[in-house]
Amino acid sequence: MELQAVLMAAGGGSRMMDLTYNTPKPLLPVGNKPLIWYPLNLLERVGFEEVIVITTKEVQKMISTDPKVKLDVKMKLDLVCIQEDADMGTADALRHIQQKVKTDVLVVSCDLITDAALHEVVDLFRAHNATLSMLMSKAHEFTETVPGQKGKKKTGEQRDFVGVDGTGKRLLFMANEADLDEGVVIRKSIMRKHPRMHIKTGLVDAHLYCLKKSVVDFLADNKSISSIRGELVPYLVRKQFSKSTNSPKVIDETHQNLKKNDKIQISSRDEELLHLTQERSCWNDHRGDMSDAYHGGRLRCYVHIMDEGICYRVNTLAAYIEANRLAPKLFDEPAVHPSAVVSERCLIGADSIIGASCQISDKTSIKRSTIGVSTTVREKVKVTNSIIMHGVTIEEGCNIQGSVICSNAVIGRGADIKYCLVGSAQRIEPDGENPKLQARSLYFPYTQSPQPSIHPHPPPLPPTPPNSYKLKAQHSKRAQFKDSP
Amino acid sequence: MSSRGGKQKKGNVTSEQEEEEQPLQAVLVADSFNRRFFPISKDQPRALLPLGNVAMIDYTLEFLTSTGVQETFVFCCWMSNKIKDHLLKSKWCRPTSPNVVHIITSDLYRSLGDVLRDVDAKNLVRNDFILVYGDVVSNIDVSQALQEHRHRRKVDKNISVMTMVFKESSPGHKTRCEEDDVIVAMDSKSKRVLHYQKTQGLKKLQFPMNIFQHGSDEFEIRHDLLDCHISICSPQVAELFTDNFDYQTRNDFVRGILVNEEILGNQIHLYVTQDGYGARVSNLQMYDSVSLDMVRRWVYPLTPEANFTDQQGQGCTHSRHNVYRGAEVSLGHGSQMEENVLIGRDTSIGANCHISNSVIGNNCTIGDNVVLDRAHMWNNVHVSSNVEIHQSVVCDGAVVKEAVRLNKQCVLAYNVVIGPNLSLPEGTVVSMHHPEEEEEDDDDEFLSDDQEVGHSKDKTRQKAFNPAEVGPEGKGYIWKASMNDTEDEELAQCLWGLVLNPDPESDSESEASEESQDRSRSVSPEIDDVNAFQLEVLGTLQRGLEENIVCDNLVLEINSLKYAYNITLKEVMQILTRVVLEYPFQQQGTQLTTLQYTGSLLPLLKTWSPVFKNYIKRAQDHLDCLSAVEELFLEQDTHQTAMVKVLMKMYQLEILEEEAILKWFSTGATNDKSRQLRKNQGVRLGQICVWGKPSQNVKGYQFGHCGSLILLLQKETTLLIFSDGVQRKQTPCSQCHKKESCGMV
Repeated sequence: MELQAVLMAAGGGSRMMDLTYNTPKPLLPVGNKPLIWYPLNLLERVGFEEVIVITTKEVQKMISTDPKVKLDVKMKLDLVCIQEDADMGTADALRHIQQKVKTDVLVVSCDLITDAALHEVVDLFRAHNATLSMLMSKAHEFTETVPGQKGKKKTGEQRDFVGVDGTGKRLLFMANEADLDEGVVIRKSIMRKHPRMHIKTGLVDAHLYCLKKSVVDFLADNKSISSIRGELVPYLVRKQFSKSTNSPKVIDETHQNLKKNDKIQISSRDEELLHLTQERSCWNDHRGDMSDAYHGGRLRCYVHIMDEGICYRVNTLAAYIEANRLAPKLFDEPAVHPSAVVSERCLIGADSIIGASCQISDKTSIKRSTIGVSTTVREKVKVTNSIIMHGVTIEEGCNIQGSVICSNAVIGRGADIKYCLVGSAQRIEPDGENPKLQARSLYFPYTQSPQPSIHPHPPPLPPTPPNSYKLKAQHSKRAQFKDSP
Repeated sequence: MSSRGGKQKKGNVTSEQEEEEQPLQAVLVADSFNRRFFPISKDQPRALLPLGNVAMIDYTLEFLTSTGVQETFVFCCWMSNKIKDHLLKSKWCRPTSPNVVHIITSDLYRSLGDVLRDVDAKNLVRNDFILVYGDVVSNIDVSQALQEHRHRRKVDKNISVMTMVFKESSPGHKTRCEEDDVIVAMDSKSKRVLHYQKTQGLKKLQFPMNIFQHGSDEFEIRHDLLDCHISICSPQVAELFTDNFDYQTRNDFVRGILVNEEILGNQIHLYVTQDGYGARVSNLQMYDSVSLDMVRRWVYPLTPEANFTDQQGQGCTHSRHNVYRGAEVSLGHGSQMEENVLIGRDTSIGANCHISNSVIGNNCTIGDNVVLDRAHMWNNVHVSSNVEIHQSVVCDGAVVKEAVRLNKQCVLAYNVVIGPNLSLPEGTVVSMHHPEEEEEDDDDEFLSDDQEVGHSKDKTRQKAFNPAEVGPEGKGYIWKASMNDTEDEELAQCLWGLVLNPDPESDSESEASEESQDRSRSVSPEIDDVNAFQLEVLGTLQRGLEENIVCDNLVLEINSLKYAYNITLKEVMQILTRVVLEYPFQQQGTQLTTLQYTGSLLPLLKTWSPVFKNYIKRAQDHLDCLSAVEELFLEQDTHQTAMVKVLMKMYQLEILEEEAILKWFSTGATNDKSRQLRKNQGVRLGQICVWGKPSQNVKGYQFGHCGSLILLLQKETTLLIFSDGVQRKQTPCSQCHKKESCGMV
């Protein structure tokens, strides 16, 4: 076994709380499959037989019990639960499973949807005997309108500065704009070794890393590092050029730990041979001077940057919507599930997905949309550009456009919903005829002071909404219903 | 219809051609405006120094002509007559020359800026022109760069004012010298220069953020570029030099344009060539490498045997191992020319010589058993037998007598005589000019340089040569760096430039320090915040004292700092206490006596008491404050006696409550040291209680043997305060179980 796969699926999805309020992020349906299926499938495709999945108890429970969450993978899943409230970072999680790590690891995040050729990353890792190799992709522009987001996207986002060498593979520099008050500072010695540095800003980190086992051991010794992306990777990138890292074992700076050092030496016995080969070989990774390959450095970080192809991290609402649009292209399954009951007199676009045991009635048109499992769509409904999750009921004559309807919601007769997000188990039931929801709004069961016309049944869970929620004030809804006679 | 269309097309083409057909112009600056080649350039301007037996300016002119320049303005200042004479004799001034050379001389040019301002004043250029120095050796075909430049100007409406030509060469390449080492940040797509910096002496390269905010998402930082000092300029460049009279060099100009990019809206682009050759002979190190590159045919088609200057008798033959021989060369028996050797006409070489990587000029005589390695000999040099020369320059008319050894980087200037039997140490420069005359001349900056040489010649005669320096029969003075230029740049005196150190060890130090920084940062990043906050608080208080700021405002400031550094209230109080208590040390040094300390601290406490009161409100706050005080005095154990005074003052100022002090005293001491402190201070603490508690009618105090403090209250009651427990009234000491003996008076 060359690489062990580790899937990080314990994230809370803090950037899209609206969606993850009822469904944990790994189980959000994307193209009628739970989000976690995509990285699992990615790993399965390249031949992994076993994956360590780090997740929460909640997710574990749902995976094992909920029939809607069918993972549909043949790999052996080793579910490791961590406490939700422990506020563990990805590096903490890796430290948590250190006992299980026997070889180098491939760490994947559960929100990665990509058609990247994984071997590119692994090949870099192998070819250069790298300490770290990672995947990045050109950032995509999200063109679709996002519910709840008014106006243009906020500008001045903090960009990541990624510096790679002339070949575009070796990772030389990494920093966030926020940390660069004094400008980009690069040591001259680095420039001397890698005289041509490309600095790229428009990249997304796919959060897919190949890491040497020694890095995991290093993590175990350095408790202060809690996040892979935020701390470990920048640390490794920086360490590439410091003198003390000429041998890989120095990575754990605790020299006293002789036992550990021995262990690493034993585990990498062919390292010596490799080193000898490198010495004897006329191969070199750079040109222009006569120094050894890699300038004698033993810690090396590489990155594979995808030029084309799909690579999304589903961590925002916009990315979620975009991923749902693209998901059908990633796998060849019939768009309409065989168990779905679809009336012959309805119109379903080729770019839509209809989940299992759905009921679609007459004179309904569905375009560029995803309809979840056990959803009922009645007559004369028009659904475009929308995501309908599981168990939703849409009554007659509704018009839903560019919206996300979460699980078990009920959309009352004749509702007109444009660019809205309707929360889980929410009932949109107008007392008047043909309710029209405010465009680009979010509707949640936990809206303060529910309006009786909208919430005939008080929601079971009225928690205090986190500050980050953009709750539409009720007056906007009131205004609409005033308008309707 | 169709014919008409065709005509129109033709018309377009001709108009375009007309545009193109305007003669390409070039500005050649035949002066370096520095003294890097002194003392050699005292006798001959740099542009006329021979490189591969051809004057350097001829290479530059040949390069310009071959790229299609039809009109060249040669600007000379230093020894302009010599340059003029040379050019008038050369092929460039023949009527058949495709490149019309105008020679413009003035003694008033002191920099490149002056030259370009003159170009603007005389209105010499009408179109894009090439700007080069008279010491550039190149075979780069700039026509493509020119095309790109013109295209950019057409598309972007004259935004781009300059295209700099660079040659790709890795760091550490021998044609790169430290002083010309540059780092360039550019936009990958548009090839626009965003940042341009000389890296000499820098360890860290800093790129300001604003250069990355031009909308592009891909940038390149390049350190693999060799500045060829060839630039394609638009006519605006001359105007810009006129507008900005402080621009002296091209470096000033480039930096000025980049810094003021947003104001002026001008941009600079670069063109990188991979296979051409281009270098400027800016110091002897470069001279050495360029000269050898020339012999090794890197500058093809400008090779020694090509005789591109078209002068009679300059021709030579080329044989293998890059050995070139001019006409009438005689070579003695057993002499070997190993490789890369160029020998000028009428030169005779004796027997058993070893010559490698060397250039020997015309009319030289070389004796027997001579070893030459990387020697650059110019014309009419006489070298006697048994001489060894390594990497040195021997100028016209120099005589090297028997058994002389020139170590690396020696220079024998014009007409110097050395030896016999002498070994010149590394880096020796011998000249017929006495170094002192240089100093005298320096005083008068605005004298013409030509004159300097003229009137100083008499003086040289008067001074005797030092036989220890130049040998018994030698003639010449050791040229030393004159001292009054030190402010300028030490480097300017170093004839040989600095070699690029391929692997400077000096970096390791900074790396190590950075690492330790890293480590401390990674272990606990908060510490930095707390420290920074502490410094800020100190600064605030200091300023408050100096400027008499009201305490309320100080509180306001500290509060805002608290948010800025994300400090908890508890920490604020601890830090505040610490800062105040350390203030006397901070101001007057740590050598204070306890008396001085309290003397300066107590008034401070009074001034700042409102600040304290603002933060110390709850009971817990009092305890926190006290523990901070304790902590500090544990560190400053020589001043422990001051502690009680501090506490008392704080009590009197109503910063601390008596209950809190007593509680603190009684709550368990965490370690031996603090227990000791409490014990020592216990008696005095009693004083506080006595002084501070008229209400409870304390009559006196006693000290129990187990460390408890006994206050004698009125009405025959006592208050026992145990060092580990709470206060109890009239309770026997539970620790020693001795009812009578323990403190009960």
